[in-house]
Amino acid sequence: MDYSTLSIPQIRQLLLDKKATATEITQFFLDKIKLIDPQIKAFITITEKEALEKAAEIDKKIANNETIGKLAGSIMAVKDIFLTKDIETTASSQVLKGYIPQYSSTVYQKLLDQDAIIIGKTNTDPFAFGGSTENSGFFTTKNPWNLDMIPGGSSGGSAAATAANLCHFALGTDTGGSIRQPASLCGVSGLKPTYGLNSRFGITAMASSFDCPGVFARSVDDIATVTQITAGHDKNDATSTHQTIPDYSSLLDSVNLKGLKIGLPKEYFTQAINPEVKAKVLEAAKVLESKGAILKEVSLPSTNLGLAVYYILVPSEISANMSRYEGIRFGQTAPDGSNIISYYMNVRGQFMEPEVKRRIIIGTYALSSGYYDAYYTKAAKVRTLIKQEFESVLADVDVILAPVSPTSAWKIGEKCSNPLEMYLADAYTVCINVAGVPSLALPCGFNSNNLPIGFQLIGNFFEESKIMSIGHQYQQITDYHLQTPKI
Amino acid sequence: MKVTPIIGLEVHVELRTQSKMFCSCSATHFHVEANTNTCPVCLGLPGALPVPNRTACEWCIKLGIALGCTPNLTSFFERKNYFYPDLAKGYQLTQFEKPFVVNGKLVIDGQEIRINRAHMEEDTGKSIHLTTGGQDLTLIDYNRCGVPLVEIVSEPDITSAQMAKNYLLKIQQIIRYLGISDADIEKGSMRCEPTINLKIETDDGKVVYTPLAEIKNVASLTGVQTAIDFELNRQLEEFKQTGEGKSKTNKTTRGWDADKNQTFLQREKEGSSDYRYFPEPDIPYINFTQAEIDAIKASIPELPDQKIEKYKTIYGLSDYDAQTITADFAFANIYESIIIDYIYENKVNDLTKIVGKSLKDLVGFTDSAKIKDLAKFTANLFLGAIKTHLNETSEDLDQSKINSQFFFDLFMAVSNSEISATVAKQVITQSYQTGVNPVEIAKSKGLIQVSDSGEIEKIAKKVIEANPKTVEDYKKNPMSIGFLIGQLMKASNGSANPKLAKEILEKLLK
Repeated sequence: MDYSTLSIPQIRQLLLDKKATATEITQFFLDKIKLIDPQIKAFITITEKEALEKAAEIDKKIANNETIGKLAGSIMAVKDIFLTKDIETTASSQVLKGYIPQYSSTVYQKLLDQDAIIIGKTNTDPFAFGGSTENSGFFTTKNPWNLDMIPGGSSGGSAAATAANLCHFALGTDTGGSIRQPASLCGVSGLKPTYGLNSRFGITAMASSFDCPGVFARSVDDIATVTQITAGHDKNDATSTHQTIPDYSSLLDSVNLKGLKIGLPKEYFTQAINPEVKAKVLEAAKVLESKGAILKEVSLPSTNLGLAVYYILVPSEISANMSRYEGIRFGQTAPDGSNIISYYMNVRGQFMEPEVKRRIIIGTYALSSGYYDAYYTKAAKVRTLIKQEFESVLADVDVILAPVSPTSAWKIGEKCSNPLEMYLADAYTVCINVAGVPSLALPCGFNSNNLPIGFQLIGNFFEESKIMSIGHQYQQITDYHLQTPKI
Repeated sequence: MKVTPIIGLEVHVELRTQSKMFCSCSATHFHVEANTNTCPVCLGLPGALPVPNRTACEWCIKLGIALGCTPNLTSFFERKNYFYPDLAKGYQLTQFEKPFVVNGKLVIDGQEIRINRAHMEEDTGKSIHLTTGGQDLTLIDYNRCGVPLVEIVSEPDITSAQMAKNYLLKIQQIIRYLGISDADIEKGSMRCEPTINLKIETDDGKVVYTPLAEIKNVASLTGVQTAIDFELNRQLEEFKQTGEGKSKTNKTTRGWDADKNQTFLQREKEGSSDYRYFPEPDIPYINFTQAEIDAIKASIPELPDQKIEKYKTIYGLSDYDAQTITADFAFANIYESIIIDYIYENKVNDLTKIVGKSLKDLVGFTDSAKIKDLAKFTANLFLGAIKTHLNETSEDLDQSKINSQFFFDLFMAVSNSEISATVAKQVITQSYQTGVNPVEIAKSKGLIQVSDSGEIEKIAKKVIEANPKTVEDYKKNPMSIGFLIGQLMKASNGSANPKLAKEILEKLLK
């Protein structure tokens, strides 16, 4: 039986019906990963021992007729920036090569507590800095749809693992599009929730006021199941929400598509977007229209400022968040006897990847005396404007529909020499992070090269149940999310 | 040439909260095994996030209000970025643009010292530098990393080393009254850094300011005074040599060498270091309602200066006595409880029992003369007999050994001349030790004062007979009666009423 195409509730039911054991399921995935991952290289660490131990634990509970967790039997891949106690966590950077954390991220622990089985840590751009996973300090992950292409980033490993059915769901983070973009480039579903919905505690911090932990899966339904577990207040994260978490799974059919007002922001459908991508995204809008939704052109005038705001504020926060990496308390080190400054420069210079250094320098500059007001303060003000624009448009329409990436996946190495070109590819994702609103990325077709294309449904703050309901209903009518690459 | 010192003080106070500023680790670090009170947050491990300690924030506001500051209803934390091994995250969480409280003042030696602000920040770890086996090592202990610190910044209104010391003593006293810190400079729970320069008015009418110097590593109160005096002198001498005035780029940091009793250059400051402050994104803005501020304000006990004023006006104590009693919060409150009990018991005013009641509530009592007498009487015993006893035994005043009724009884007995002031001192000490009523002690030891003129006359006559030489001296020098009074007191075992004794002797010697 192919356990990898089942949904999370289906897997759990198999266990309850005693039609399969957790160990069998786990072994199936381990074998599949051994066979397929060498081509894709989605995983940095495969946690064979921990996976089988957890499976054995679950099987024991079943044998003793004890209650099993809501995610029992489901296989999860975890982006390597989530700290996983006793399991190497590298953040895909040489800085943390060999680092074994003493504690776990809250989101990861919540999933473990519901008996999810961790199968491995996935590749990413280092510390999540990037949009293609090519910046990884270890290796580049391939797009399962075409091994010459990037999977997107920064959560490229998690997206690729999900697309290749090497797990049931995967954890990622979305700071500027790092869940939605790889999800779209790999043809899977990914949710960037409202900022603060999922706790950031125990995840290497990139930009503290932007980072959103979230989930990849092959269906919105599974995303709802997992988000139910991860969402909610964490006393260890002062920015985490106090909102009551709705029962997302029971609300999947709650939105009435008839009369639903869908806004299409004109700034997201310009010449800059590849025509095939544009066509497929508009097709998705038409699908919803065929069910009674009303399409309306809207405007988000500050969209073109989003990249500038993002690439000032995010590196600024990065530059401070990266200061703790100096090889004294943890991480790789290079003892240097001369003086403390040369020690710092040596360790950080030696182990930090170029993109990491690039962002630290940009951020340090933007925060420095004489420049702080012109850059940081200005960007913070425009941030508020962008946020208000979203709120105002979302008061007028029920949801916003837009493309995710201006192009489909590009060739590995193609944009490496020009970091700016890489940044420009974030144009349609960053504003959502700047505002803090939730967005759900869904596959909506393929281009003429059989590369996936995705679109996003953007809601107002804490409207996850609304966008997931629309997405769920879209996936009842279409089958793009069921397509699997041939590997 | 006229030289005026300009001194500003920065004081850091370690709050004695249970947990650290941003995590639930214990805030105790004095004499604790290295790196045992740590967690991912205060160690700055990847992914760790700060969660602010509410009590610490409230205590900062409490201290601010006690220093006359205005609270900001909304304030926030910021990151102060710099690299040093004992700063785990590579940035310190502190406040810059919007501290918890601003614009207070203290009056020291008649001079108003403005307080710019008081804010919350976290302490760093400790670096221990040593050389072992020919190698230079630095050991880092993170126990102190994250401990809550209140930083109090004064304007440069202080004009002498003595004033600086008094300012520090006053802040220390207020902090101890509030119970928010030990404020012990030797233990490091209170630290101070003076910033010093001079205003020099030359004979030809020019005004120059010498370059600013910030002095670090002053580890005692006397050290502060000595360091400031040294630096004031050093700056004057340097000015005479170089004539250099202050600029935006010549502020220096100097360390204090307590062994050599001098300051030494540590590093040049480039204007002010670029710490790249920005608002802390991991902690939302902190809001206090006016009601919450009012509750904090209401929790502030009567402060030293208010107490001193009350003791002088209502209790009629001297400035010296008032200052001495109020030096220690517990001592003052125990002393005061006797006075309050008296007021209550004697229904001098129809008030329920109130300890530490403020000045304005006690004004207008009837029979305030009676209060004054008792207050002075009790103060004398507290500052005399009892304090001496405490010094001898190295103990703090034990509230359970102080009985208001005992003081009333003793006061009455002395007022009625049944017990002399001398005897009162003896028996109160014994009463403190044994828990027995001092009047009972006096009775049992036969120390009840003899105020019977007849009795005293008998003894007086004997004393005059026994000291013919002194009697002769008295004719020329009236002061020699002192010796005779002394002899009479001795002969009566201290129980004679000394006033009567003098009168009777004078009468007999006429």
